[in-house]
Amino acid sequence: MNKNNKPPAEAEEGKMGPRIDFEEIKKLIALLEEKNLAMFELEIEGLKIKISRNVPGTPPYQPMTAAPVPQYDTGSGLPPAAGPCLEADRNTHPITSPMVGTFYRAPAPNSDPFVEIGDVVKKGQTLCIIEAMKLMNEIESDADGVVTAIYVETGKPVEYGQKLFAIQVPA
Amino acid sequence: MISKILVANRGEIALRVIRSARELGLKTVAVYSQADKTSLHTMLADEKVCIGPAKASDSYLNIPNILSAAEITKADAIHPGYGFLAENSRFAEICETSGITFIGPPASIIRLMGDKNKARQAMKKAGLPVIPGSDKIIEDAADAKKIAQKIGFPVIIKAAAGGGGKGMRICRTAAQLEEQLPIAQNEAKSAFGDPSLYIEKYISGAHHIEIQIIGDKKGKILAFGERECSIQRKYQKLIEETPSAFIDERVRKKMMNAVEDAAREIGYQSLGTFEFLVDEKKRFYFMEANARVQVEHPITEMVYGINLVKAQIRVAAGEKINFPLELEMRGHSIECRINAEDPETFVPSPGKIEFLVLPGGEGLRVDSAAYGGWQIPPDYDSLVAKIIAFAPTRPLAIRKIQTALETTTIVGVKTNLPLHLQILSSTEFQEGNYDTQFMERFLQKKNPA
Repeated sequence: MNKNNKPPAEAEEGKMGPRIDFEEIKKLIALLEEKNLAMFELEIEGLKIKISRNVPGTPPYQPMTAAPVPQYDTGSGLPPAAGPCLEADRNTHPITSPMVGTFYRAPAPNSDPFVEIGDVVKKGQTLCIIEAMKLMNEIESDADGVVTAIYVETGKPVEYGQKLFAIQVPA
Repeated sequence: MISKILVANRGEIALRVIRSARELGLKTVAVYSQADKTSLHTMLADEKVCIGPAKASDSYLNIPNILSAAEITKADAIHPGYGFLAENSRFAEICETSGITFIGPPASIIRLMGDKNKARQAMKKAGLPVIPGSDKIIEDAADAKKIAQKIGFPVIIKAAAGGGGKGMRICRTAAQLEEQLPIAQNEAKSAFGDPSLYIEKYISGAHHIEIQIIGDKKGKILAFGERECSIQRKYQKLIEETPSAFIDERVRKKMMNAVEDAAREIGYQSLGTFEFLVDEKKRFYFMEANARVQVEHPITEMVYGINLVKAQIRVAAGEKINFPLELEMRGHSIECRINAEDPETFVPSPGKIEFLVLPGGEGLRVDSAAYGGWQIPPDYDSLVAKIIAFAPTRPLAIRKIQTALETTTIVGVKTNLPLHLQILSSTEFQEGNYDTQFMERFLQKKNPA
């Protein structure tokens, strides 16, 4: 953030460390899209924000500091189910797949996705569909918050426990 | 016809299938529960799909998730291994109707063999001698007593849906029968959801002898020489060997021919094992048939020099049985099942394998999914390794497996290795003269009450 910006309002309320509100997160997300950035990370005084998005043609974000982990997977097309949690922020809530199937972001091929990054969602709101056994299963959010990440592309296979969305929940 | 096999199992049998498929040039998909994230089968398959949480009913028995895993990975065949869904006729049927090749017998055969009483009747009709007993499900205590009087005591109560010794009770008198009947009924109901029982004459001093078969889709059936599986504790096999020191060539051929005829009669396909009790006079009686690959199949492979799992995949793909002509048993093979359990109390001992040295060398085979550093999940069976020896003669095979067990080191969990060594060095085992009551006597001698 620009140093000339006035400090977030909450900082004046005598709380520990900087704080940030939903509106500002939404602005950051919009900025990411505008500048076509894949990832944004900010850390100040104990507050850590990381926003990433799928940009076509860019490799998925890999933390530079990750210790080498032996890779036994001999070429699965699937991302690891519940791998190391990259977004270990305090208020990030993951939505994982309750079943094995095919992930769809929209109710029909030509319709708009259920949610986009930056959308405010309510508990019980449909986030996506997972097709299993020829049945369309609507997957609902189990928390109120803002969608900060969508991990899977539409039409891709997902396994049990795989992370689908990250929801930033209010502190 | 088959290009990619989803292995709906875990542990050593999953590895066995993955390796056999690779040898055949086929791709493999491992499915795993969250408790098996670091299990070897997930690392050796070409692809892997997490199908649920640790609890088997939510993962390895979760038919929708397994079929979805096959769909998203475009697997065209499923190998069920043993246990879990291997003998679930509904699963086999769903695979068949979904256009996925089920690597096992047709659903109708699995269903027939799953009802132990119906299987017994069908085999009797197909010409196999069965143990004298009730021809149908027993109705009440009076009915049971009438049958027991006719066939003579002692009798054994068995669950129609049974397996693993659950619901089985030996009764020596009519009073005992009346007392045990409701207990067995409850046990059968809670274990299998079906309280149906039947009665057989109890044959003491009998051997548990089984005949392996394979059948192709063209109706050809081939039987293999017997496996001696009388070393069991609570109906769980511990040591198996082939050939049996008790069975001679004449009885062997008679059993193999009888099984081939019966299997042909019912249109058997894929791998299967027919289990018999053989009494002191070497009369054999059909007990049950297992419509799947069995844990102890490697000893048959060792003496015949074949790969039964590869053969099973090939016949599932529609190929004809294509073993070299004049398939003959050669030498002797013994298998010891090494379990993670206390060798004295038999309490399972899950935990982390801190250090592991498995045996090796000429004539020695280990089928295991264990590795040093692996955390054995507490959620599944306790089998850690099958150690299998092959040698030209029985004494040499015994010496070889003893050496193998003596040079095996498993640190971190308790295992039954010491128990195996004690059994192998007992006079009864050394002489090859043991029956199904061996373990009972052995443990009694070891720990006199």
